[in-house]
Amino acid sequence: MVRPGEVRMNTVRVPSPLRSYTGGAARVSASGATVGALLGELERAHPGVRFRMIDEQDRIRPHIRIFVNQREVASLDEAISAQDEVHLVCALSGG
Amino acid sequence: MALSPAERERYSRHLLLPEIGAAGQEKLKAARVLVIGAGGLGSPASLYLAAAGVGTLGVVDHDRVELSNLQRQLLFDTAGVGASKAQAARARLLALNPEIAVIAHELKLDAGNALELLRGYDCVLDGSDRLPTRYLVNDACVLLARPLVSAAIHRFEGQAMSYVPGAGPCYRCLFAESAEDAVPNCAEAGVLGVLPGMLGALQATEAIKLLLGIGEPLVGRLMTFDALAMQWREFRFARRPDCAVCGAHPSITSLAGHVRAAGAPAFERVGPQQLHTLWTNAIGAGRQLTIVDVREPREFALGHLQGALNIPLAELPRRWSGIPLEFPVVFACRSGARSRRACELAAQAGISSPIQLEGGLLAWAALVDPELQVAPVE
Repeated sequence: MVRPGEVRMNTVRVPSPLRSYTGGAARVSASGATVGALLGELERAHPGVRFRMIDEQDRIRPHIRIFVNQREVASLDEAISAQDEVHLVCALSGG
Repeated sequence: MALSPAERERYSRHLLLPEIGAAGQEKLKAARVLVIGAGGLGSPASLYLAAAGVGTLGVVDHDRVELSNLQRQLLFDTAGVGASKAQAARARLLALNPEIAVIAHELKLDAGNALELLRGYDCVLDGSDRLPTRYLVNDACVLLARPLVSAAIHRFEGQAMSYVPGAGPCYRCLFAESAEDAVPNCAEAGVLGVLPGMLGALQATEAIKLLLGIGEPLVGRLMTFDALAMQWREFRFARRPDCAVCGAHPSITSLAGHVRAAGAPAFERVGPQQLHTLWTNAIGAGRQLTIVDVREPREFALGHLQGALNIPLAELPRRWSGIPLEFPVVFACRSGARSRRACELAAQAGISSPIQLEGGLLAWAALVDPELQVAPVE
């Protein structure tokens, strides 16, 4: 649980196709009580990155998967807690 | 299939493993595995499978060996530059293990040949370098009930998963559709040469486990590898009940929906100088060309063709109505991969005779307008 006044930050792992938005960083910090809120904060820090993952209907794009720790995320409403690590995964095509 | 004395010696380290033994090695000898793509992934995967004694290996590739392949594609050597990859792979694999059979499939896998080809194999490894091929292979494996070990790489990262018929999710359950081919391949983004070695070896390991029925297959588990962090990670994912190919009510029951890769493409490719001539002639005749630049806005902002519209590839399926169709439609991107995909999508969406700027704006800058600034790849 996060105590009042405590700043919760989640580690977010960024796949290489999206790192142009994070200045090349593979790992960034963002906070939010839900996956959607966290992505909102990520967007404020790294403009443009959310649209690469989420469409206008707030659906996760088909070539993107989001995992909280090892668990797959089906909806942006899913809650995350302070210790959770958020993994953004993008379909890769190279062979 | 009994083992000869020479085979017993060759595979002696396998025979010592209780999980394999003579019975397992005979299973490998009887097995038929198809490796799609003799590239970065297909090289280590096929070398290990040949060494392991998989009795029949098929290798699919329509390309020729290029010097830039040798940084990671260990099937080939410098003397083989220019040779057919499938044939060169066959020669290398047979040199490694003459006890096996290797079939070189010098062809481009497409909707017209995939089922017939895959039907002859017990297990499929996907090491192709295009997303549409990955969906084609996945769909064919689901339709034919063939296990699939899929892997992909990008820069310093890789990912892999297995599909086992009836046992778990397929590739389409993981990434639902290929409409957004917004992911650059190795030729566009670069790749650490060693990286496909890690993932290709994983594919060979998985294939051997699946053929022998040992261990825990990578079913419903996505493995990712980050070479810079030197970290493997595992994520669990479930079968989608609404999956278009393996779900309860599949909409994909044949490969008819896949664009045929062979034969005439449904779009025209023009080089920079040819496009320049087309454009000049159109203007001379009081007409125009509709240039659609499918790069990202930040790339577009640095420099683009005069009058071009900017519709990033990922947004294209929702924005057809924004493209004026009274003039021929030309799709352009940095080097040609995204515009090729855009043309395929445009043809599917009913835009007649879309045109691709072959070689992209890089080629345009090199051959027509050296002042055009082309943004680096994202």
